[in-house]
Amino acid sequence: MDHPAVAEEDVPLLSLQAFSLARGKVDVLDNVAFELGRGQTIGLIGESGAGKSTIALAIIGLLRPPEVALRGSIRFDGVELTGLAEAQYRQLRGNRIGLVFQDATAALNPCFTVGAQLAEPLSRHLGLRGNERRQRSIELLESVGIGEAALRLDAFPHELSGGMQQRVMIAMALACDPQLLIADEPTSALDVTIQAQIMELILERVRARSASAIFVLHDLALAAQVCDRVVVLYAGQVVEVAPAGELFAAPRHPYTRALRACSIELGQEQVLAPIPGSVPGLEDLPAGCRFAPRCDRASAQCAQTPPLVSDGIRSVACWHA
Amino acid sequence: MPNRFLAQVGQTALVLFFVSVASFVFLKLAPGDPVSLMLGSDYNKDSYDRLFTELGLDRPWMVQYTTWLGNFVTGDWGRSFVSNEDIFRLAVMQALPVTLCLAAYAMVLALLVGIPAGVLSALKRDTWMDLCATGVAVFGNAFPSFYLGIVLIWVFGVGLGWFPTLGFVAPWEDPLEGLWYLTLPAITLAAWYIGLIARVTRASLLDVLGHSYILAARARGEGATRVVWVHAMRNVLMPLTTTLGLQLGGMLRGAVMTEVVFALPGLGMMITAATLNREYTVVQAGVMLSGLLFVLVNLMVDQLYTWLDPRLRRLA
Repeated sequence: MDHPAVAEEDVPLLSLQAFSLARGKVDVLDNVAFELGRGQTIGLIGESGAGKSTIALAIIGLLRPPEVALRGSIRFDGVELTGLAEAQYRQLRGNRIGLVFQDATAALNPCFTVGAQLAEPLSRHLGLRGNERRQRSIELLESVGIGEAALRLDAFPHELSGGMQQRVMIAMALACDPQLLIADEPTSALDVTIQAQIMELILERVRARSASAIFVLHDLALAAQVCDRVVVLYAGQVVEVAPAGELFAAPRHPYTRALRACSIELGQEQVLAPIPGSVPGLEDLPAGCRFAPRCDRASAQCAQTPPLVSDGIRSVACWHA
Repeated sequence: MPNRFLAQVGQTALVLFFVSVASFVFLKLAPGDPVSLMLGSDYNKDSYDRLFTELGLDRPWMVQYTTWLGNFVTGDWGRSFVSNEDIFRLAVMQALPVTLCLAAYAMVLALLVGIPAGVLSALKRDTWMDLCATGVAVFGNAFPSFYLGIVLIWVFGVGLGWFPTLGFVAPWEDPLEGLWYLTLPAITLAAWYIGLIARVTRASLLDVLGHSYILAARARGEGATRVVWVHAMRNVLMPLTTTLGLQLGGMLRGAVMTEVVFALPGLGMMITAATLNREYTVVQAGVMLSGLLFVLVNLMVDQLYTWLDPRLRRLA
């Protein structure tokens, strides 16, 4: 695939515009829009069912028609992805876009050695063979902090610890030096003691390659720490986009504020405020603002869908913000 | 691993011991008297007693059993009352290879048809192709094999004349002719296994395709064909081997039926004929040999399974 030479710096690496995704009659994503600049990291935040992982899978092209219906646009490095032929999409997957799964234990094939699985993107996208490929695999494992890398190549996934497996997963996603790394809750399945290490590792590897990254997270505090910008999703819609620090310090959307109020910070006197109610089912969405039934500031106006209004730096979709 | 293997060999030996006791005792309990059978209709008390002693039938059962087992292990299986042939030759050299060829041919056919049928119906789930493949699988499972054999003879042997209807040509003497003669029997025997394999493949593949390692393989840029046939099928092999392993013993049973329908001179035919003639030494040999075969096949399947699943391979 050719890199468009013109104004590469001006075009964001990834941009979603009015992107909607429907599974049968159910709209899973509605009018999602955000941009990701080169070398930037963005966090997708929201409760389960908000559509975070769906966005991740849609970007890497693992949720495509006829399985789902797509509207709107996903542009990656100047190329429109929604209508891309499968053969061309395969050139991107694992090569220019890498994906780290939530649960590495489940995402590694139990019947193949670590080396065999790590070798796949190396042969498919880089054409490496034999000793050269093995050498590169060893380097990759070492780069994610795995000792005795040559031995680990011949290990089966079940012979490694959970943290080790996630490191392998990261090495695999980074194998071909992708421009975009998507990490779908990369630490949720791990022990607390390992979570910080793994997060640090991903950030360090991404920065070392000046790649961009999308983190799917459910923890607002963590997102504020590791991301440049944060996109808050609720029931398949974007409700707020802002630079991470500002969003955490001064959330504007009532939902973001509520999320902020539930996040636990050590050493601070605070009252945890759970959000009343639960995320509405996608088959049964309220008209107008989807958060309104759980919102303490809801008014008659909220029966109308609030537009995502931007002031140039942050955007928010709320009549009362 | 060696411990596990030794334990399996020990179990195998135990099972074989029980098979030998059972085959010895059941035939002792069966009605009919070998001595009068061997002597024919007119004999006198003297010759009866002489043969009775000669055969060792006057000695205690324990002694009879150990003598018989000792002879069996050393390959001295006695002679047939009817044809006076050496039973070891009859069973191991003549009948066993026929049955093994039939079973192997049938298994190859069943795998070659059953696996693709199962994969097809999993990938095209709930379409007419799935319906057809599932229909054929259910038909293969439900249709009695002896009747299927007769129908095949009638259609392809008698009607169309594509295959010989009866008889046997040794594949090790004339491979092409031998396979040609074995084709209809092999299809008959394979039919049930095609159904089984197709159904297990379909169900396991659907299960495996839902795992996130399949999604992960695609996220690395692997193509759909390779994902199904390498990443997914490698995992389907394990449940498939388990199920087949449990059902392989039935292949011997199926072979008996098939051999009788197609008049193949195999182990099943041998046992059937010997049972009708009350040639109890031949039946005993046949039962022991089948038992041995059954147990060996299971031992092999166990080893295969251990080898297939890396999680078992590196334990121990």
